[in-house]
Amino acid sequence: MNEYKEIQSGSKPFKRAYVALMLWFVGRAIEAAARVDAAVKAEFDGLSPGFTFSLGVMPQGPTMIVGKDDQGLVRYRGWDPEGQKIDLKMKVKNLEGAILMFTFQESTAMASARNRLIVDGEVPAACAIVRVLDIVEVYLLPKLIAKLAVKRYPDWSFGEKIRNRIRIYGGAIFGL
Amino acid sequence: MELPGYYEYYCGVKIIAGHDALERIPGILQDLHARRPMIVTDKGVAGAGLVDIVLGAVKDQLTIGAVADDVPPDSDLRVVNRLAALYREQDCDALIAVGGGSVMDTAKGINIVVSERADDLMKFSGAGALKRPLKPLVAVPTTAGTGSEVTLVAVVKDHERHLKMAFVSYFLLPNASILDSRMTLSLPAAITAATGMDALTHAVEAYYGLSKNPLSDATALAAIRLISGNLVKVTRNPSDREARLAMANAAALAGMAFSNSMVGMVHTLGHATGSVCGVPHGVCMAILLPYGLEYNRHKREAVMGELLFPMGGSDVFAGTTKEQRTDRVIAYVRQMNQDLHDASGGRHARFFKEVLDREGKPAVPRERLLDIARTALGDGSIFYNPEDLDYDDFLMVLEAAWEGVALDPGCIRT
Amino acid sequence: MFQPQKTYEFYSPTKVLSGNKALENLPVELDGMNAVKPLILTTPGLSARGMEKVMASAFGDSNLTIGVFAGVPPQPDLRLIRELYSLYRDNGYDAIIALGGGPVLDTAKALNIAVSGKPEDLESLASGNPLTKKLKPLAAILNLDLSGCEMTRYASLGSLSLTSPALIPDLMIIDPRTATEEEQKTMAATSLMSMTQAVEACLHPARNHLTDAYAYGAARFIMENITNVMRNPSERKGRLALANAAFFAQTSFDNLAPGMVYELGMAVSRSCHTKPGLIMGLLLPHFLLLEMRKETTDRKDLYLFIGGPEAFAGTMAEASARKAVDRIVEILLELQSIVTYFPRSIRDLGIKKEDLEKIVAHGSAAGVRGEYDPQDIRNILEKAWETRF
Ligand SMILES: [Fe+2]
Repeated sequence: MNEYKEIQSGSKPFKRAYVALMLWFVGRAIEAAARVDAAVKAEFDGLSPGFTFSLGVMPQGPTMIVGKDDQGLVRYRGWDPEGQKIDLKMKVKNLEGAILMFTFQESTAMASARNRLIVDGEVPAACAIVRVLDIVEVYLLPKLIAKLAVKRYPDWSFGEKIRNRIRIYGGAIFGL
Repeated sequence: MELPGYYEYYCGVKIIAGHDALERIPGILQDLHARRPMIVTDKGVAGAGLVDIVLGAVKDQLTIGAVADDVPPDSDLRVVNRLAALYREQDCDALIAVGGGSVMDTAKGINIVVSERADDLMKFSGAGALKRPLKPLVAVPTTAGTGSEVTLVAVVKDHERHLKMAFVSYFLLPNASILDSRMTLSLPAAITAATGMDALTHAVEAYYGLSKNPLSDATALAAIRLISGNLVKVTRNPSDREARLAMANAAALAGMAFSNSMVGMVHTLGHATGSVCGVPHGVCMAILLPYGLEYNRHKREAVMGELLFPMGGSDVFAGTTKEQRTDRVIAYVRQMNQDLHDASGGRHARFFKEVLDREGKPAVPRERLLDIARTALGDGSIFYNPEDLDYDDFLMVLEAAWEGVALDPGCIRT
Repeated sequence: MFQPQKTYEFYSPTKVLSGNKALENLPVELDGMNAVKPLILTTPGLSARGMEKVMASAFGDSNLTIGVFAGVPPQPDLRLIRELYSLYRDNGYDAIIALGGGPVLDTAKALNIAVSGKPEDLESLASGNPLTKKLKPLAAILNLDLSGCEMTRYASLGSLSLTSPALIPDLMIIDPRTATEEEQKTMAATSLMSMTQAVEACLHPARNHLTDAYAYGAARFIMENITNVMRNPSERKGRLALANAAFFAQTSFDNLAPGMVYELGMAVSRSCHTKPGLIMGLLLPHFLLLEMRKETTDRKDLYLFIGGPEAFAGTMAEASARKAVDRIVEILLELQSIVTYFPRSIRDLGIKKEDLEKIVAHGSAAGVRGEYDPQDIRNILEKAWETRF
């Protein structure tokens, strides 16, 4: 039967690399935001000691891990879940879903409404992390895009937002 | 009709509805190659004579392996394991769950234990842990409201380890749901009213929620039309068989809608009020539904206006301008609460300060609203609500719902 | 709408994924059904249009191996099933993905029976013995060239007709990359088939809340999109709506017995080799006009399905059934002006007047439900033969 063939599913190296970069960036931005923004800090303070979560893509990554250390400080913990105790796993069902999210065509709320995310863990913690992601997005994105990414754009004072944004960018890129 | 950019929908439960639907159970089990089911139910259901009706409908054609009629209201892992052992001892091969939410959850838990030979149920909690079909499960709901006869979630508590395990899987869906008017005929007026408002809330929140889709829309509209035409009627006249059957259908339709399109802030606040003050779920839904409409209105005006058609019918719909429809919908829901209040001799509560506990004391003291707002922040249903809410927003809505006044549009941050 | 008096049953075991990037969810969905190596069935035509590449890209980054058989002919037969059976077995496949309509689904359903048991089970089912084994996972990826039975319990293979609820696909996917443009006439036939199924479900004596809900969704999507898509086939959202409508219509059809227009359309189609949907579109108005002359109360909400709540509420109850027929005729007239070579009567299809009697006899004997009067059937066929819209 010459109409028959077997195909190995290929890979999408560029999309993977892009998502991996974005995850790295968001992970470090969360670490910085927890130092800079009171609301983000309060959300993490409300979570159990040592709380760690991951955000990644199925079936095999990329992934980013963020957790609280012994002093209660929020740390970006890299991309490898191996050997880490993870309390909350948020997984995008496939790479294209992650691309939709990280090119800001679909907000977190829309992605979950469209069932593109699987959440494994305690629900209250998941709620807190989604609120954190929303705040971080507002810092990282220009207002025009962030307005599409979150349900309600916060009415922060301009000066404070700019100050915090610079510190978060600095933290995410240079680890300051 | 709206087609979203992407949606998913599933309800693989066979629905059998009618005044003599129970009689179809033997045939259904035969199709599923089961011969010896175990009936799972609770004392209240059995005491009301409902198990006898089920037995009467099936016993000529079916051997019942066991009847477990002692599922407690807050069932847990111990109950699940004990009944799973009974199932095995009696060599059963299917389950018939007769009752409300707790009975359904327990039956689903038993099903995991007996199908997967699980000694530790915990291994199967979370999404995607179940990979193959379980034993046949037939659901016979005895209230018209929760929709748990068509949902894929089960919650089993572990009182010893202070854990609440949630199981989510398509394999937890019952194979069939039996909607028979005889099962709800003896439901008291106040419970009929509250559970019916729960069903209405499922349909309305599904219709304006972020995950709405054409099939959840079609089932939600059908449910709303049935509830609008029958809930007040059946609360006034509990022995109306046609209205009972219509409500059973409505609850299942609304269950299909919300299990695919999810619920929003009315449930977020309702779950929180239930867990802080112990108020029955349906009572919270009835009180909070108008506020869900008011709070989200600026994001969903047109969609909400469409609800006037199934609620008010053709003439009211045609006679109301587009701009006024959402107002009419909100007024309609409030009027429905008032009518149910009157029809139940004042037992159906319209606002939180009116809700009484078993000793007749106020069940929702005003100072507990702070706790409720805090608890609401941890409920996942908020993801699917069109507008965001923080602690202050939750509290603002709760204050209004406590007092029974409309939301001040000026206080809704957009 | 109405209150069902009798006990009803409704069953739709299919999970729907529709819209942007729906195909990319296949690996996760297969995993949920314990499958890791699917065999894709499709036609040479669809393969030539690059569908294999689309599928390979959808499975990209999933680490899975997929098989593609792109040789499904217009008339699949048992011999093909036996060949595919060995292919499936020898290469360790554990699920089937049907990409396309009509014969692809017939092949997929038949193959699924064979690989879940043995090829002999096909004859056994055709001769009335029910299936006893649970079938393997089956996913259907719909396009806009459909027979009307893809998502139902029915399949046919040569002379075998296979019927079992177990044949209904577990998964249905509608994606903009696979629900692509077809010839105008093909898309019109597919949509008129759905319209017929939806309208007949709405008029069916055994209709219930759920068949109503599905038929309502189907009718709304067709009425809102059919002429737009014919005018502008690149209109992606409209095409997806029509594909969705086909699934909704088939599901309500599957839960009720086939109606008269459906059965007659199939019978006429066999004698002129035209897509049955087009023929049903020509029969439907005549059937409705005849129906309206009969006194039945639950006919008046047809216009709710056809015209939508706004139009329905703005129309007097007495006028509403008539409005529904008018609206359907309007759509047909529009299709005639947009679609090239759209037939205007069944005479245009090469049916001879003297053939009609044969179809009446055939129709009332085999297939068409007994409750229809042969005189009615004759009446409709003659009108549809004579009248050119
Ligand atoms: Fe509820």
